[in-house]
Amino acid sequence: MASIAAAEPVSRAPALAHRPWWRGKLVQVALIAALMYVAYRIWALDYPWPNDLVWNSLSLHLDDFQTWLLTERGKEDQGIVFTVFEGFSTSVDRFVDWFTRLLLWMTWAGTTAAGVLLVLRFGGLRAGLFTLLAFASFALTGLWEESMQTLALMLVAVGLSLLVGIPLGIAAGRSSRVNRAITPLLDAMQIVPAFAYLMPVVILFSIGPAAAVVSTMVYAIPPAIRITALGIRAVPVNTVEAATSMGSTRMQLLGKVQLPLARRLILLGVNQTILFALSMVVIAGLIGGGGLGAVVTTGIYSNPALAILAGLVIVVLAMALDRSTEAIAERTDPAHRHLDDSRKSRLRLQSLVGTAAILAAVGISKALGVASTFPDETGDPPRAATLEGWLLSKIQVVLDYVQDPATWVFAVTERIGIFVLQQLLLPLQQFLVETPWFVTVGGLTAIAFVVSGLRPALTTLVTLSSIGALGVWALAMDTLSQVLVATAIAVALGVVLGILAAESDRFSKAMRPVNDLFQTLPQLVYIIPLIYLMPVSIVPGIVAGFLYAFPVTLRLVERGVRDVAPTSVEAASAFGASRRQVLTKVKLPLAGDAVMLGVNQAVVMVLAVVVIGGLVGSGGLGYEVAQGLVRGQFGQGVIASVAILSLGIALDRVTQGTRQRRKEGIA
Amino acid sequence: MSDRRWRSGVGLVGLALVAVAALAVSGSAFGGAAQSCGTVVMNEQSWAGSTANTYVAKYVLEERLNCKVKITNVTEGPPYFQAMRDGKVDVALEDWDNTLTKAGQTYIKDKSVRVVGANGITGVIGWYIPRYLLKQYPAFKTWRGLKGKESIFKSPESGSQGMFLGGDPSYVQKDRALIKELGLNLKHVVAGAEPAQVARWSQLYKQKKPVLFYWYDPQYLNAQFDLVRIQLPKRFTGCLDDEKLSGKHACEYPSFGLDKLVSGKFATSGSPAVKFVKKWKWTSADQNFVANLIAGKKMKAEKAAEQWVKANAAKVNAWLK
Repeated sequence: MASIAAAEPVSRAPALAHRPWWRGKLVQVALIAALMYVAYRIWALDYPWPNDLVWNSLSLHLDDFQTWLLTERGKEDQGIVFTVFEGFSTSVDRFVDWFTRLLLWMTWAGTTAAGVLLVLRFGGLRAGLFTLLAFASFALTGLWEESMQTLALMLVAVGLSLLVGIPLGIAAGRSSRVNRAITPLLDAMQIVPAFAYLMPVVILFSIGPAAAVVSTMVYAIPPAIRITALGIRAVPVNTVEAATSMGSTRMQLLGKVQLPLARRLILLGVNQTILFALSMVVIAGLIGGGGLGAVVTTGIYSNPALAILAGLVIVVLAMALDRSTEAIAERTDPAHRHLDDSRKSRLRLQSLVGTAAILAAVGISKALGVASTFPDETGDPPRAATLEGWLLSKIQVVLDYVQDPATWVFAVTERIGIFVLQQLLLPLQQFLVETPWFVTVGGLTAIAFVVSGLRPALTTLVTLSSIGALGVWALAMDTLSQVLVATAIAVALGVVLGILAAESDRFSKAMRPVNDLFQTLPQLVYIIPLIYLMPVSIVPGIVAGFLYAFPVTLRLVERGVRDVAPTSVEAASAFGASRRQVLTKVKLPLAGDAVMLGVNQAVVMVLAVVVIGGLVGSGGLGYEVAQGLVRGQFGQGVIASVAILSLGIALDRVTQGTRQRRKEGIA
Repeated sequence: MSDRRWRSGVGLVGLALVAVAALAVSGSAFGGAAQSCGTVVMNEQSWAGSTANTYVAKYVLEERLNCKVKITNVTEGPPYFQAMRDGKVDVALEDWDNTLTKAGQTYIKDKSVRVVGANGITGVIGWYIPRYLLKQYPAFKTWRGLKGKESIFKSPESGSQGMFLGGDPSYVQKDRALIKELGLNLKHVVAGAEPAQVARWSQLYKQKKPVLFYWYDPQYLNAQFDLVRIQLPKRFTGCLDDEKLSGKHACEYPSFGLDKLVSGKFATSGSPAVKFVKKWKWTSADQNFVANLIAGKKMKAEKAAEQWVKANAAKVNAWLK
């Protein structure tokens, strides 16, 4: 499923751009779909997946595995494996705990000063100010302590993810064998819902920060690996050859040529890792991660306004981490800083002053008895109060409006919801669920063959059959119908907005916080209010899916279009092409790879939130996974998750299209 | 070049020294004086009733027994059992028969989780409708009255059938089997997690439209919405509650005596809090009162607990005897 986010090197082979790949193929695909529809009209419901072709005992075997793990883990003298897990979890628990307490011990004033000065010194004024705003929002929302818990947890999780991800990414970048071996694993890590592996993680690492860090790492490592690998591979071949011919060893090649040249992409990987990690805060809250995640989960049940507030603080935290690492990376880029002696000594002086200022701030705050958290009720009158009550009341006003079925907004949104559900979603769902299974398997395999070729078609056949053998055919087809719609919307939104962002810097800047918002705001906090406005099933889950997925597509498309060689654009303009012609005839075809990758990543991201859909009324596989965790049906959760993964692989093979072939052509 | 490297090396060492110093200073500063009761870790589950339990017990433990209480939010079922086994959670004050699942039994058998009596609340699960519906359809008191009238519950996704709104995926349910075995023309629609389900039925309630759904008591929303439980067939021997088992399911849900759980480690710790937890007990009305202050009136959980404790001195003293 190729690489994540924003950075596929774009092929620059104008000769291939003349004939869009879908011409002709589109007709064939439509024909196959029409045949499937005819079969559906004739045999609807006559051929559900036959029970003889289901591996029924699998769920029990999986349950037994969990029980076995549990018993092994409980034994007095544990094997070396469990001792290693134990050691890891104890040290991570202790470290996160210590780090959190340090942040609190430094008092709110001291911690803010330390954070802001650190970013100011290494990242510059803008990033420093942004950090100050972030700390102010932790304080003013009254969620200081929770924010510090989440901050400590996430710094550790991101740090460890990079520690594992970047070296693996380098290995994958230098060896295509490693890359091929690792790619399916990365797909699985991104698509298999955390709910499915939470319990084994809890058994191995117990409850608490370590378990939270591990589950976050599973989701946040793939972008680090993929983008690093991409960066290493993107280093021009002739540069590598030149270095080798001058006698560089492999280590020298890596350290002096590949890493410095891949630097910007590796940093992009860091940013994506941060965003992915922050999107796991709520899941982490379920297994003892505490902090903002726990506020969101309990808040959703008993105080939705508070859940929304905590969700927004998560977004602010993500943006602050993202912006400051980016600024730090830019300022410390050796390519951009030509240090002379006077600047060097000035920087050294700044470091000294900064360190002194941090120590002084902490010291003074402690001396004055400033409280560890905010609101600070020490001193008379109290040193500081929060805006929590005011903010919550404002959010509540909005919620009350949303929850009132007597408003005109409700009258409009409810009808839209019903219309989309009845005219689009239910018919599609019915079609996929009720069409004879062999027609669906055959049809989708044929489409994969037409669009992508023989091997992808075979993979599609195998994965679809395995879904049936797992005994979740109908549920999977239900989920598939929703995933198709959500992906289509995500791709449409991502491509259009991505083009706009590539064409206009201002639009691009404006979209960035929007992207961050939808990538990190916990879906439940905005989808539940949406259900009040659109009280129907499936639709809210689809909204959650495309809102989470479109930012990645947008970033990829924007990057692809922007990276089109300026020479091609100039050539076209010289021949008198209008701006629109340049876009549709030159830039988009040339960015085709990035666009296809965008489609792919949209599928991955939509599948990653199938469980959220299960929690907001979409049913299907997501509901099964969610039920599996709490009701102790491990097997059920794993089976549904494997089915989600199989859907992902099948969809990827169907849509990967000419991406592969085109590359071969160029090679 | 080497000069720069040397400098950055010194910088790193310096940074490490600062970190170690901070560790030492903070380490000595964090360690508070130990109290006789020590720290009790209580787990708060997602629903508001659990928040009410936890904060009332916390208030009394801290104010009267001088304990230090830490609250965790581990999700119920196997995850919090494992937390108790690992000594990360000491107490959970409201368990809805998770201990009876196969996974739960593993923990009960090895004594890492112990049931220490009922928390005084009887959990009731069933099929609920708004009371206003009874005026027009008095027969809806029992399931028989639904027969032939199912289509009044129809929704955008249920076609000509009536809609039955299913419960949170983590709750005990057998409604699909019930509908089938009772021969009702209803379509089971999954609404998702509880807040999502509430969104669905409360919007219909506010419009005074018909709605039939999985619900339970005690629940703070029962103070805001006037709901009636439909009578399902009486329980009979051999009647099953697990939809996944084949057999007969056509009887009402059992009533749950909700259990208090403690970890094996905590039970044998000798802390005065153990005795307190064993004695701790209140009623559905008490819980709904506090939960409604928290979730309905948006009062801080600590304040709501304080208010209830101050108004119910007799009950609180009984826990401490």
